[in-house]
Parts: sequence; structure tokens; C-alpha cells
Amino acid sequence: MGVKSNLKLIFSYFKLNLKKEWKYKSSFFMQIIMMILNDAFFIIQWYIIFSLVDNIGGYGFNETMMLWAISAGGYGISHAFFAGAWNLKEVIYEGRMDVFLAQPKNVLINVCCSSTQIAAIGDIAYAYIVLVLIGAPWHWYLIMIPAMILAGLIYVAVYVTYMSLCFYVKGGDALAKSVEGTINKAAQYPSAIYSFGVKALMFTLIPTFFYSFIPIQYFFLTPNIWWILGSVAVTAFWIFLAFFTFNRGLRKYNSGSLMGGRL
Amino acid sequence: MRKYLNIFKTSLRQESKTITNALTSAVSFIVIIYIFKQLWQFIYGGQGGGTLINGYTLEMMIWYMIMAEIFMYSVNSRGVTRAFSNDIKSGKIAYQLNKPYNYYFYQVSSTLGECIWKLVFLLPTALLIGLLLLGPIENFNLLYLLPLGVSLLLGVLLTCTIYGAVGLLAFWIEESTPFAWIIQKFQMLFGLFFPPEFFPVWLQPVINYSPVYAMMSGPCKLLANFSWDLFQNVIISQVIWTAVFVGLGLLIYKLGSRKVNVNGG
Repeated sequence: MGVKSNLKLIFSYFKLNLKKEWKYKSSFFMQIIMMILNDAFFIIQWYIIFSLVDNIGGYGFNETMMLWAISAGGYGISHAFFAGAWNLKEVIYEGRMDVFLAQPKNVLINVCCSSTQIAAIGDIAYAYIVLVLIGAPWHWYLIMIPAMILAGLIYVAVYVTYMSLCFYVKGGDALAKSVEGTINKAAQYPSAIYSFGVKALMFTLIPTFFYSFIPIQYFFLTPNIWWILGSVAVTAFWIFLAFFTFNRGLRKYNSGSLMGGRL
Repeated sequence: MRKYLNIFKTSLRQESKTITNALTSAVSFIVIIYIFKQLWQFIYGGQGGGTLINGYTLEMMIWYMIMAEIFMYSVNSRGVTRAFSNDIKSGKIAYQLNKPYNYYFYQVSSTLGECIWKLVFLLPTALLIGLLLLGPIENFNLLYLLPLGVSLLLGVLLTCTIYGAVGLLAFWIEESTPFAWIIQKFQMLFGLFFPPEFFPVWLQPVINYSPVYAMMSGPCKLLANFSWDLFQNVIISQVIWTAVFVGLGLLIYKLGSRKVNVNGG
């Protein structure tokens, strides 16, 4: 019941945000197209790299492009549906949470869904463009949906978890930004380049591997039900952690007594 | 000129109060250099062992990238464009038009203040991580630091003027930041990821005469393999392209500000 109503809320927000952005139609389409072009630039980077080496730890051009597809798709999902999470710092420090607290639905979902980054739709589209480019089998197009959703959810959950530090200390966003930056960058390169210690970090505190490597390897290349279930469990754990840390932090929240309304 | 120097100083002072952003940048910088080092080490096959790819050893390649990332991290290019774009979109620009300064120069000076503050953290971080991961640059003389610094500052200035000019396009379009994304990708592809020598021979002169060379690959090559001839080429390129983009920025601003008057701010 709760899940169903929250899902309804998430989609309602998304629809409303889209309507808001649709007002500037040229900007709407330009952002999406430019984001696709932006992502596509990296194809040239990897084309040049793979002209120097055949593969990197068993990953050739197509596999590396899949890393980019998942990363772009996951980023796209997180920023299309939950872009409000990236306003958390201002919402907390400027005492702008009141308007969300007064609403009958879950506060964190309300904050996260309050905005949509239109360019993120371009990221989601890019994930499918990559599938077309590499001539992926038809079932990969279907698998891409849960893979992107899981990647997007873990991405936003990790960000919120670390960002909740803002409830306690000034400049608490630094850690969240560093972790986010690391996931974002590290996820786009084949896992073979990392040392054992870094890999351990990417399985745990900075779960980059669950954002891109595991979906690529075990959802697409060599499907493995245990890794898939493990990936779902780890994502669920990070979502739980995000709600837990946010709700604990919320107890420390000080209102800015800011008058505000949301239409 | 003095008023822009004061704007620069004010921005620098303001930025120095927010240490968090600079520290975050430094952490992120370390991560990306580590990733690049690991990736190129793989490409060079293990430790590199003096292997040359297109005239670059592994060490030269990573020092090149360290310099390139200094540029990427010191100038928040999307942020520069967004600052212009937001002022124009929100109408805040109307309050700037009657001030005794040129808005374009005002924003560029203010952005330069932010960049210099970031450099205060980035340069020692870059030096430290470079020395730890790679050791000292071969045949590097401390005398080269001064010309390198000049080239770095000119590169930062040029980058600010370019992204500022792009931001001014918001006078005509609702959102100019997507153009900044694309320009940034050109900068990354032809400047950050690979030195010009990695591209086909027919493309190399195009890169060498482009703004990307002046804002990135030129100064980066200086750090990887310094020569006074190269320095001379880079400085000439930087001065010319800065003049071109300052001129272009002023022209766009002049044309755009007329449009604000037409719309009544």
C-alpha cells in the first residue's frame, strides 16, 4: 500500500515537473539533445583508447560503451525523478524544509521528487542509443530498464545518506559531493584498472561497483541470478540507510521560519 | 582596470571563506588522477618501462593530464556560463546595466577570483599527487615554474572569457548552459584526454591553432615536456585567443544588452 502510494507520488511529481519545463519547449528539447551529444563525445575517447590497446581487463569497446550506457542511464533516472536530492544542502542550511514537512507524504520523497533535470532524459535516451550502436540483442533493451532503475536508486540513496551529514555540521556536503564525484568518474572505467583496496572501497563505502560494473557483468554479459539478487539487496540497503540517516538528521533540523508555498 | 582588480579581490576574499568547495575539488582531483594513472598504466602495459606512445612516456602523459585537470578543476566552466545565464534569465542583469562597469568584465573578474582561490589548493595537491605517483618530471628545471605559471593564468583567463561569452548567448536563448557542455567536451576530448599528437596527422594543425590548444593542450605540453620554443608558441596562441574572445564577449554583450532594453529588462 505504502509502496504503491509512494510510486504514485513519484510519478505525479515527475509529470508535474515535466509540465513545468514544457513551458519552454525549445529549451526542453535543446537540453535533451545537447545531453545526448555531450555523452556521445566519450565514444571518440574510447575509440582512440581502443586503437592503442585491444582490451582493458577483458573489456573491449562494446563492453566499455555499456559501462557508459548504465552510468548515463542511472544518472538519468536519479536526476529525472529525484533531482530535488541535489538541493538538499540548501534546503537544510537555509531552513527551507518547512514546506515539505507540512505535507502529508514522506518528507524525503517529497524533497527528492520536487524537481526534475530535463537533460537527464537525454542521459536515459543515450543508454538506449548505445544499445543500438553496439547492436545489442533485443532482450538487453528490456534488461536495461531494471538495471538503470537500480543504478539510479543506489546513486541517489548514497548521495542522500552522505548529504544527511548537513543536519549535523557546517559544510557537511563536502563528503557527499566527493563520494558522488568518485562514483560518477570511477564507474565509467573498466574495473580491471583498480587495485584490490580500491575495489573493496567500491563494493562498500563508495558502492560504485553496484552502480555500473555489476549490472554490466551480471545483468548483461554473464547473467547471474545471485549477483542480480545481491545487487537488489545492496540497493535496498542503501535506500534504507538514506531514509534512516535523513530521518535521524531531521530531528536536528532548525526551521528558517521561511514563508513559502508550493503550487 | 582598477575596479575589475577590486572585483577580483572581493571575489577572492569571499571565496576564501568557503573552504569546503576547494577541499571537495581537491579530493575529486586526486580521484580522477588516480583513475587516469591506472588506466594509462594499463594501456602502457604495467609500469610503462619507458614505452613511448606518440612521443609520450607514461610519466609525461600523466603529468600532462595533471595540468589538464588543474584547468578543469580551477574553472567551473559550466558554473561560469550558468552565472551569466541565470542573471540574464532572472532579469538580474537589468540592475547591472546601469553600474559603472562592464557586466562581462565584472563577471570574468569575479570568476577569476574563484579560480585563483581553487588554485591555492589544487596546485599543492597536484604537485604532491604527481610526485607520489610518478616522481619528478624528467629534465624539469625550477626555472620553468614562472613561465608555466604565466601560461596557467592566461589559460584560466581564456577559459573564463570563452565560457562567459557562451553564457551571454542567454540573451537570445532561454538556456545557454547546454552549449557550455558541448564546448567542455571539445576541451576534454582534444585537450584533456589526449595530447594533440594522439590525433590523425591532418587534425593536429587544426587542434594546434584552436582555442583548445591555448586553453589546455599547450600549457599541458609545457609541463610534460618544457621548451622555450613551445612556451613562445603557447603564449602567442593564448594572447591572440584571449583577445579574440574578449572582443567577441564584448560584442555579444553589446548586442544582447540592447535586447534587454527592448524587452524592458
